[in-house]
Amino acid sequence: MLNLLQKIRAIVNKTQVFKSIFRHGYPDTDGNRALVMFSNVILHLHPVRVRRGALKIKFTWCLGGLTFLFFILLAITGVVLMFYYVPDTRRAYNDIRDLGTVIYFGSLFRAVHRWSAHAMVFSVWMHMTRVFMTGSYKPPREFNWVVGVILLVTTLVLSWTGYLLPWDQLALWAVTVGSKMAEATPFIGAAGPFGPELGFTAENDMAFALLGGTVVGQSALLRFYVLHCLALPLLMALFIAVHFWRIRKDGFSGPL
Amino acid sequence: MAPEDNKGKIEDEDVSRRRFFTLMGLGVGWGSLFTALGGVGVGTARYMLPSVLYEPPTVFKIGTPEEYGIGVDTKLKKERQIWVVRNERGLYVMIAICRHLGCTPNFFQDQSLFRCPCHGSIYDTRGNVLGGPAPRTLWRAAVSLDPVDGQIVVSFNTRQDPDPVGTPEGLMVEELSREVEPYFLKV
Repeated sequence: MLNLLQKIRAIVNKTQVFKSIFRHGYPDTDGNRALVMFSNVILHLHPVRVRRGALKIKFTWCLGGLTFLFFILLAITGVVLMFYYVPDTRRAYNDIRDLGTVIYFGSLFRAVHRWSAHAMVFSVWMHMTRVFMTGSYKPPREFNWVVGVILLVTTLVLSWTGYLLPWDQLALWAVTVGSKMAEATPFIGAAGPFGPELGFTAENDMAFALLGGTVVGQSALLRFYVLHCLALPLLMALFIAVHFWRIRKDGFSGPL
Repeated sequence: MAPEDNKGKIEDEDVSRRRFFTLMGLGVGWGSLFTALGGVGVGTARYMLPSVLYEPPTVFKIGTPEEYGIGVDTKLKKERQIWVVRNERGLYVMIAICRHLGCTPNFFQDQSLFRCPCHGSIYDTRGNVLGGPAPRTLWRAAVSLDPVDGQIVVSFNTRQDPDPVGTPEGLMVEELSREVEPYFLKV
């Protein structure tokens, strides 16, 4: 049995496909060990030199990695849910009900999407708390802290835009409350400080641009859907790439 | 059994206790992982097959037989994509889908012919192909009478599709062989 597996492995290792993916030998020499790191996108994310202490679970608690894992889970389940959800006020709620009641695996995908979203918000906060506590935001890593703050805000806005999509009472009133807050934005909100003085009314201010109207209706549902499924995930992916690239460039701070 | 009898056996074993448990652990671990992944794969494939459809019903009622006179009735073409045809023996329902590439043919009362606007297939009122690229005769849908209200029940996706015979006039099917249950109502 084991001999057979070894024979299969020997044959597979010689194929063009295998050699094109793994462009190095077994990591039994220093040269090959370095090549493993260089030629693998995930392993390559780690800085060239890492202090032993910085790799301890007790230092990072894997919180950034967990956040990224939740993001991947959300992207996969989100794409799957899009096959059944139509952002139309007349059927959005029914589509969500269908997903939860009749469609095979529908409630599972929706539950994974919902809980991953909650978990991602939580793990982003925990990750930032850890970075703050270990002082990892300090120079020369302050740029990545700013990227991290952008990722936090994008996470929260993604969470909020997803909130409207089930189109139930909770969704409607949560977003009504949220858009009232947009109305109170200084300078660009009709109800905010200096807003009316600058000529902003309920029909040209920040909340109006966000909702595509004066109430949470069909335009708002479509805008939130496009933001939630397309615009914000793309922005998120872009800043995640920058965030990871900066981690590699900046190195790990490590415990004192 | 004397101790020295056992001694040789232990040395001959090529799988030690530690090795055995390692292999078992690996087998259970990888086995569980791939079982779970397989379940997710099957479940996701099943998810892609909708459990509820928001489409027009494929089994529907079209009124009583008395409402349809001799000849081709085109009133349900737009709503239900069917023609209701009555001859001297009874009534049948033809599906308004061209057998070439699926367009909707038009009925010309003056010629008693169906002509497809896309590529010019021509059918007679029995569904036989008189010209054009259509390779088979028009479908007929299964019909029955509702025992309660006496209406005709059409089953759109249960279709009669006999093999036609090539003749100088076109692709033909013996008409009486088509006028059988459940594709024909003797009313």
